Amino acid sequence: MLGIVTAVFFIIFWRLYYIQIAEYSRFKGIAESNRIRIIPLEAPRGAILDRKGQIIVENKSQYNVNVIPYEANQSKETYETLTSLLNISQDELDRRIKRHSRGLFVPAKVADDVDFKTLTYLEEHRVDLPGVLYSTKPVRSFTSKANLSQVIGYLREINKQDLKNIKQFGYKQGDLIGWKGIEREYEPILRGTRGYNYIQVDVLGREVGTLMNREKVLPIPGNDLYLTIDLDLQIYAESLIGERRGSVVVMNALTGEILTYVSKPDYAPGLFSGTVKADVWRDLITNPDRPLYDRVIQGTYPPGSTFKIIAILSALENKTVDPGWSVYCNGKYRMGRRVYKCWKKEGHGLMNMHDAIVHSCNVYFYNLIRKIDIDVWSRTASNFGFGSKTDIDLYGESAGTLPDAKFLDKKYYGIGWTDGTKLNLVIGQGDLLVTPIQMVRFAGALATRGKIVQPHLGMKFLSRSNSQFSIFAVPSDTITSYSSETWEFIENAMFDVVESGTGRAAKVKDMKICGKTGTAQNPHGDDHAWFIGWSKPEQGAPLAIVVMIENGGSGGGIAAQIAGKIYHFYYNPSTQQMLADRHGNP
Amino acid sequence: METRKFNLAKDFTKTLSDNNRILIIIVGLLSLIGLLSLFSASMRIDLPFFQKVIGRQLIWMLSGILLMTLIFFLQGKLFFDTAYFIYSIGIVLVILPFFLGRASSGAYRWIGFGGLRFQPSEFMKLIVILSIAKYLCRTDLPITQFKSLVPPLMLGLLPMVIVMSQPDLGTSLVYFAVIFPMLIWAGARTFHIFILLSPILSVVTAFNFYTFFIWVILLIAVFYITREKLWISIILFVLNLSLGFMTPILWNHLKPYQQNRILTLFNIEADPQGAGYQVLQSQITIGSGGIFGKGLGKGTQTHLKFLPEQHNDFIFSVVGEEYGFIGTVIVLILFLLMIFVFINSAFRLKDRFGSLIIIGVGSMLFFHIAVNIAMTIGFMPVTGIPLPFLSYGGSFAITCFAAIGMVLNVSTEKPIGRHRL
Repeated sequence: MLGIVTAVFFIIFWRLYYIQIAEYSRFKGIAESNRIRIIPLEAPRGAILDRKGQIIVENKSQYNVNVIPYEANQSKETYETLTSLLNISQDELDRRIKRHSRGLFVPAKVADDVDFKTLTYLEEHRVDLPGVLYSTKPVRSFTSKANLSQVIGYLREINKQDLKNIKQFGYKQGDLIGWKGIEREYEPILRGTRGYNYIQVDVLGREVGTLMNREKVLPIPGNDLYLTIDLDLQIYAESLIGERRGSVVVMNALTGEILTYVSKPDYAPGLFSGTVKADVWRDLITNPDRPLYDRVIQGTYPPGSTFKIIAILSALENKTVDPGWSVYCNGKYRMGRRVYKCWKKEGHGLMNMHDAIVHSCNVYFYNLIRKIDIDVWSRTASNFGFGSKTDIDLYGESAGTLPDAKFLDKKYYGIGWTDGTKLNLVIGQGDLLVTPIQMVRFAGALATRGKIVQPHLGMKFLSRSNSQFSIFAVPSDTITSYSSETWEFIENAMFDVVESGTGRAAKVKDMKICGKTGTAQNPHGDDHAWFIGWSKPEQGAPLAIVVMIENGGSGGGIAAQIAGKIYHFYYNPSTQQMLADRHGNP
Repeated sequence: METRKFNLAKDFTKTLSDNNRILIIIVGLLSLIGLLSLFSASMRIDLPFFQKVIGRQLIWMLSGILLMTLIFFLQGKLFFDTAYFIYSIGIVLVILPFFLGRASSGAYRWIGFGGLRFQPSEFMKLIVILSIAKYLCRTDLPITQFKSLVPPLMLGLLPMVIVMSQPDLGTSLVYFAVIFPMLIWAGARTFHIFILLSPILSVVTAFNFYTFFIWVILLIAVFYITREKLWISIILFVLNLSLGFMTPILWNHLKPYQQNRILTLFNIEADPQGAGYQVLQSQITIGSGGIFGKGLGKGTQTHLKFLPEQHNDFIFSVVGEEYGFIGTVIVLILFLLMIFVFINSAFRLKDRFGSLIIIGVGSMLFFHIAVNIAMTIGFMPVTGIPLPFLSYGGSFAITCFAAIGMVLNVSTEKPIGRHRL
C-alpha cells in the first residue's frame, strides 16, 4: 500500500520537475504569447510635394466604424440603429461582422470611409450604442488642383500572391503598397516604418492592464518626396489639353527634371485615396479612352515630321550632303510605279536643307534618305535614345520601335522591303514608333547640343529622422562627336520653324523658341499632332517640350499652340510675379 | 449512557495522539494554501468578500471544521450502529435530485436547501466508507471467500450507478475506488480483488489488439499460477474475453463528448480548442511558474482566465503558476505526509472498524489527490474530481472535514468494534 502511494507521488514529482523546470522556458513562452497581443501602429506615408514645396499628396484620416460583436449582440437596438445609419440590411451587417471578426471582444470593421454626419451621430449617441466604435486610418489625400494621375499613381492592398516576393521587407497582407506611378517607384522612401504596441489581453481577447516590461515602438513616418514638377505649370498645362487625348511634357533640358507631365484623359486621383469602389474601378478600366493608361511613357506613336531632324543629323554628320544641297519639290516624288506625296500639293519649289526643315518639305527628305543607308539613319536615331527606354522613374515605360535593316529583313521576310520603306521612315511613318517621353528627351538633346539626359520626376526627399534633404543623383550622357556647325544649323532651322515656318503658333514674344511640328498619319482616324521644341532663355536652362495630341490634326495647329501657351505662361513676368506672391519666394 | 465532562479545548488536545496532531497541522496548512490560491484567483473580481469564492469557501471551511469537531466528540459506536440507516438516507438523498429536477447544466446533482445547494453525492462518499467498514466488521464473515466480497461491492456499486447517471463520472469513480483498499485491509484474497478488477482492464486494453492480447496472456498466467478450480477459471476467462470484444461496440454508443473526454487522455495536444484545451492550458499554467513561481496575484494564466475552472478542478495549477515548483512540491509533500499518517494510524489502531474507516478515508483522499493532480499535469482527462482542502466547493469541503473528524474520532476513542484485529 505504501509502495503504491509512494510510486504515484514519485511519478507526479517527476512530471512536475519536467514541466516546471526542464520545460519551463517553453511553457513560459506559450503563456506569454497567450497574453501578449501585438498591436501594429501604422506609420503615415510621406507626403508628395512639387519642386517649390506645394503639397500634391498628403494623408488624411479615413473613419471606419467597428463593432465589438459580443456587445452588439447584447442589444437589438444597437443593431437596428446601426443598420439604418449605415443604410445596410441586418444580414449585410452580420455578414460584415463575420468577415472581419477576430474574436468576440475584438472590434470588427463594418464600414469604412463613413461621412462626417455619421461620425457625429456616433459620437453623440455613444452611450446608446455600446460596442460601436470608430477608428481612423491614414489614407491619401489629394488637395492640389492638378490631377497628375499617372505620375502619382495609386496604392493597393497587398494580396497573398504579392506577399510572397516582398514579405522580407516587412509587408503584411492587407498593407497598402505603391502600385503605380511615383507611389510605386519611390515606395521605399515614402513608406514609413510600422511601430508596435504591446497590450495584455485575457482569454477572450479583451485588453486588460498594461505591460510593464515591453516598450512601445513608435512608428517612423515615411519621407516627404519632392518632385521636379512645377505644380502651377502642371495645372495650367492640364487645363490646356482639356478634354483632348494626348500628352504634354516639359523638361529641363540640362538636368532632365520634368516640370510638367500630362497624360490625358486622366482621372481624379482621389478615386484611389481609400478603397476603390467596384463600380468606379470598372468604369475606369472599361472606358474606351483608357484613363489609367499613361500616354507619355506607354503610348507609342509614329513621330511624323518631327523625326525628319534625325535624317538631317545623319546626313550632316556623315557628310552625305552639305546644307546647301537642294531639291526641287513639285508636290510629289516618284519611285518606280509609286508616287510619294508632299503635304503641300502644289509643291514647295526649290528647297535647301534649312527651308526643308522650316517648311517640313517631304520631297526633300525622300531625296535625302535615298542617299543614306538605313542603318546609318537608324544608328543616329538610336544615339538620341530612340528604340530604348529613357529609364524615367516611372514603371511600365515602353521602348517604342526603331527599325533598322535587320528589323526590316525580319519583318518583311519573303516579301522584301525597298527604298519605299525608307521613304516612309524618314518622315516618321511606317514601322517607327516613339513615346512622347523619348521625344522630349530628343528635343532636350538638340537644345543642349547633345546632352542625353535621363528624364525624372523625383528631385529630393526630406528625411523624417534627421530633417535632412537628400537629392537624387541622375546619370546623363553626351554626344560629343557632332560638330558645332551641325548644332548651329539645327538650332537656326528650328528657330525659323517657329519664327516663320510650320510652328508659328508656338511663337512667344521676347523668347527664343525652337521647334518642329509633326503630323503623323493614323490609319484609325484623324492625324496625330506633334510639336517638339525648346526655349532658349537668356539665363537658365533651356526647357524642352513635347506636345502630342491624338487625332489633333496638323502639328502646326493645336500642338504648337499649346506649346506656345505653356512657354508664354512660364516666361511671362506677370505670371511669375503672381506665383511669387502666392508662394512668398522669388 | 456514559456521561462526559465537557471541556472542549482540554479534551480536544488531551485526547489527540501525535499522528492526529500532525494530521490537523497538515489539514490546516493545506486549507491555508487553498484559501491563498482562492484569494488570488478571486482578487480581480469586484464583489463583496462573502460573495466571492474566497469568502464563501471560508464559510464552508468553518462549517466543515465545526462538523469535524462535532463528529470528533460523538461516540464512535454511534456511527457503527447507525451506518446502514445513514446509508439508506444517503441513497434517498442521492436519488432525490432526479425528482427535484433542478438541472444545472443538464445534470441532476444538487439539492436546494433554503438558498444553499448541496451535492449529496459528496457526503455519500463518506457514507459508503462507513457502511462498508461496518459490513467488514461482521465477526462471522469468511472474508477469504469470494461471496463475502459481494455485499461490500454492492454497497459501493449502487450509489456509483446512481451518480454516474446524474451524470457525474468523477464522483462515482470514488465510490468504486475506496472499496478495494478496504477489502484488502479486511483480509480479502488478492486473487479475488484481481478478479474484481479484471473486467476494467479487459475494457481498457480492448481498444488496441496488442494490449488486449498481452492482457489475455496475463489472465491465463494468473489463472495457471493461482490454480483455482478449472471451471471458475474458464468462466472468468470467457467473461473477460467477451467483455473485451463487446467494448468497441459499447464505445460507439457513447456520446461524442464522453468519447472525447476519454480520448483526450491519449493525445492532449491534438485538439487545443476542444476537450484537451483545458488540460493543455493547465500544463502551460504550471510550467510557466518555473521554480519560484510568478508570485501571489501575478499569475497571467490565472488572472487572464486562460486557465479554466481555476477555483475547482485546476486550483493546483494556480499554486503551480504563482508559487512555482517549490509551491507544488510543498503541497505534494503535505499530501504525502497525510497519506502516511493515515496508513500509520490504521496499522497502530487495534480497532477493526476504526482502521477500516481510516483506510477508507485515506483511499478516498488519495484517489482525489492522484486523479486531480494527474489531470492538471496532463496525465488524465478532466473528470471533475476536486483537490481536497484546496478546491472550491462547499459539499466537498464539508465532506473532507467530516472525514478528518471521523478519522480523529475512531483513532482516539476506545475500541468499539466487535473484535480486535
